[in-house]
Amino acid sequence: MPQILAHASFPEKADRTLSTPVQEIATIAIRKLYKHYGTTSALRGIDLEVQQGELFGLIGPDGAGKTTAFNILGGVMEATAGNALILGLPARDARNYIGYLTQQFSLYPDLSVEENINYSAGLRLVPEDQIEARRTKYLTLMQLDRFRDRLAGRLSGGMRQKLALCCALISEPRVLLLDEPTTGVDTIARREFWDILASLTAQDITIVVATPDLDEAERCDRVALMYDGQIQQIGTPAQLKADLGLQRLVIRTSALFKTEQALLTLVQTGELADVSTLGDRIEVLTPDAQLGKKQVRDRLAQADLDCDRIQPEVATLENVFTTLLRRQGSVPQSLPFPRSPPESAITPASTIAIAARDLNRHFGNFHAVVDLNLDIHYGEVYGLLGANGAGKTTTIKMLCGLLPISSGTMAIAGETGDLRSPALRQRMGYMSQKFTLYDDLTILENLQFYSGVYGIPPRQQREKIRWVLAICGLEGQEHLLTRQLPGGWKQRVAFGASVMHEPEILFLDEPTSGVDVLARQQFWQLINDFARNGTAILVTTHYMNEAEQCNRMCFMVAGRKVAEGSASEIKAAQPGQLFELRVAQLQASYDRLRQHWEPWRVSIFGDRLHIVLDHSNQELPQVESLLQSANLPLLDTQSLPFSLEDAFIGEVQRAGGAPP
Amino acid sequence: MIIRRIRNQFFKELEQFQRDRLGLALAFILPVIALLIIGLAIRLEAKNLSLVVRDLDQTSLSRSYIERLYATNLFVPAQWQGERFPDALDRDQAQVQVTIPPGFSADVDAGKTGNVQVVIDGSDVINARVIKLAIDGTTLSVLQERLGKPSETLGVVAQVRLWFNPGRQESLFIVPGSYGVILAIFPPLLIAIALVREKEQGTILQLYASSLSAFELLVGKSLAYIAVGLGEALILFIVGWLFFGVGFVGDPSPLFVGTPVFMLAGVQLGLIIGIFTTTQSAAVQAIGTIKVLTAFLLAGFLFPLSSVPFPFSIFSYFVPVRYYIELCRDVFVRGSGWFGTWHLIVAMLVLGIAEFGLAWWGMRRMQLSS
Repeated sequence: MPQILAHASFPEKADRTLSTPVQEIATIAIRKLYKHYGTTSALRGIDLEVQQGELFGLIGPDGAGKTTAFNILGGVMEATAGNALILGLPARDARNYIGYLTQQFSLYPDLSVEENINYSAGLRLVPEDQIEARRTKYLTLMQLDRFRDRLAGRLSGGMRQKLALCCALISEPRVLLLDEPTTGVDTIARREFWDILASLTAQDITIVVATPDLDEAERCDRVALMYDGQIQQIGTPAQLKADLGLQRLVIRTSALFKTEQALLTLVQTGELADVSTLGDRIEVLTPDAQLGKKQVRDRLAQADLDCDRIQPEVATLENVFTTLLRRQGSVPQSLPFPRSPPESAITPASTIAIAARDLNRHFGNFHAVVDLNLDIHYGEVYGLLGANGAGKTTTIKMLCGLLPISSGTMAIAGETGDLRSPALRQRMGYMSQKFTLYDDLTILENLQFYSGVYGIPPRQQREKIRWVLAICGLEGQEHLLTRQLPGGWKQRVAFGASVMHEPEILFLDEPTSGVDVLARQQFWQLINDFARNGTAILVTTHYMNEAEQCNRMCFMVAGRKVAEGSASEIKAAQPGQLFELRVAQLQASYDRLRQHWEPWRVSIFGDRLHIVLDHSNQELPQVESLLQSANLPLLDTQSLPFSLEDAFIGEVQRAGGAPP
Repeated sequence: MIIRRIRNQFFKELEQFQRDRLGLALAFILPVIALLIIGLAIRLEAKNLSLVVRDLDQTSLSRSYIERLYATNLFVPAQWQGERFPDALDRDQAQVQVTIPPGFSADVDAGKTGNVQVVIDGSDVINARVIKLAIDGTTLSVLQERLGKPSETLGVVAQVRLWFNPGRQESLFIVPGSYGVILAIFPPLLIAIALVREKEQGTILQLYASSLSAFELLVGKSLAYIAVGLGEALILFIVGWLFFGVGFVGDPSPLFVGTPVFMLAGVQLGLIIGIFTTTQSAAVQAIGTIKVLTAFLLAGFLFPLSSVPFPFSIFSYFVPVRYYIELCRDVFVRGSGWFGTWHLIVAMLVLGIAEFGLAWWGMRRMQLSS
């Protein structure tokens, strides 16, 4: 779309504060940027340059200073020291060339799609004769054209973010600042959103994007890891992974817990960098794959443990990130949960905690859940995955008795009759993404309140509250008002509050939405700890790398279960193959392939293309000839194992796609 | 450029406003209900005061005295069933009790001082004063009649005429004043909510991130809510006319000029509060407290401004409602036209511009505060 550049207004010469010509300045240049709020410093000397047309990722835990950096770049906040230049202008003077998507959805929910766009256009003085053309263009690009009259508040998470992007693009900015644009957006919509971002950078729009999801960060041209107000590392995802100097070994075994315990001794001696359990497998980081493999085998033989397979794989950005943070010493420790004496615990009669047969739920004409069958065992972490509106939350609400079922039967903890009885509820725990702590109470008061709600004996109360504070790293700060906590921390306290009564069955509805990687990992340690102690856990999530942590899972599409099994089983059951293509002209090749295959099969990952082919023998030569005929060189083709996200998108598309 | 952005802001506010049911109710339904309640419920003139009389004299003079008391139309007879006579006041069965002692008539006729005991419930100061005046007057006229001293001999005769409201119709006093009170509360409430909601929903960041100036933002928003307030005023005037029979007297044009000016001043206060608060509930409370207190107490709605004691009387000059209530009373009751009202409009305009200046100063940076 060359017209974007034709219409984009460039800074006038008189506006420039620097005499250097524009082409020699990086699109975004940040020098020694500091920001203090009172005595706390959010940014501590940041230096950064982003070039025109780059897709630049900013990743870091909550409170690393990402949003502050965005606010300064977006010109809505003053820096304490240093400067941030965009297109050679101070950020505040460059606002007309910037589109800024704030972390909080910043459109008017009570205005329609079209009214929101018109308002943004007026705000940014888009020439009136061009508004209609641009609006149609971007609404078509985002596939929102059908929803012009819908109120923004009634759009799904993914559509809202696309609308926000539309509103930012209507003034044809040269720089886009996106602060966690995909939080609360489901997998399918997220992949689509990133495809759109990739196509925008092809039009020389410079994009800086923050994301808590490291799978997404893999799609950036360059990434900066932020921690504690500083940029710790910067480079392309490939460079960062290479600089890590560690290899990943995936170990498959049936005795997960024992294996992990045995290998942890190697971490203490420094032979292995890290060991962690991930759903149905164990992952090990080691400086050298061959040596590491041998060390693992020796150690397991010594401990009299079997393993089916040890497979070396490349490290992920998540490995880079957590290793960095571990070196910073900022990973909170895990502590055992203070359990009540065993005699009070009820020994379940059966191993099945949740059983559902032919579960149905209608809302008027809308069939939210269709003939769902589930068997979830004690000690199991079971993931319920699906796009927004697939019926996950409805299912979870029916299972915990918050919503009556339309038809079907279910047994919770062996109970089939009164699922709302206080005795049964005492044995269940439920935490939703909106689990509410009272903002105007202190952390301690909140915990005391919930321990009262769950009827915890006063003697154990103090001990359990101490435990929650310890796992959250909030000891000594329990008198802070809850509203002063960042989102991720609040979520941890909420989790602690919802498990204080040692439930046998735990329902977690998107517990980690908007929580950073580090907190998420720690969250999962807690979840796994509960599962090991026999709790049955049902969890819904948007994040596929998080779903990998589940022992078993199912995919839901439009209220139906379309696939079930462990992550490995589901990936193995995928028809077709995934290929990574290295091409000379990314965008043109992408467009070309998308014309021929269904759009979901082709996506841009950083500087590569990913394509899913069902019959690779015939289709791969077809890819080559298609590209060749358009004079687009194909440099390299490599087969890749499916990620869970690929599997999910494939299943959803084959089942008829996600609802809009 | 500026005009376009103001227009853009103006239409967006109105679009949002017409979708917000709570806002619509606050703008058009609640004010009408408030007008009806204030117009029907507030009665300043004393009526139906309960009176207990013990006539121990039982003569024609005592009976005619009692008749005269009731003829004032001020009192209604109250039942008294106590043992001791003061019970009636103690038990709140009556507000005043009159005892006519035996020999009252004889004393009067003999030219001696006749005693009548009147006990008034002083816990209601205003009514106590009214009762005292009524009983004093009645007593005097009864005596004059009995002793045959014609009033002409008193030398001065006051010929009293009530102007503007000869029938002392109360709605003519209450209704125009309540226009001022109601219009002083609701439009500022709406604009403060509209501004704070932008902060709560984070949409204000999009404004900061564009090069929209504080002037454009504030003018656009103000104009939208001035328009809403004018609609509200129109509805109130119509309801007041149909329901209470309060119509224009003389030239209504000062009202047509004065109402927008008053809206300008009122809406600015809403903006100022919106700028310096961060949650809707805080904004609503602030507006509620400030507006209700000033409109009821410092604007001459019920109590004459001349009776407001010194330090507070200074504040009342900075309350735009006081000028608007005066303007309404002029247009709907007095009808003196521009001659008696122009200074009110000028005063409101000055206050409105000053408040706008303060709002602009509070908003001028269009940035997040650290």
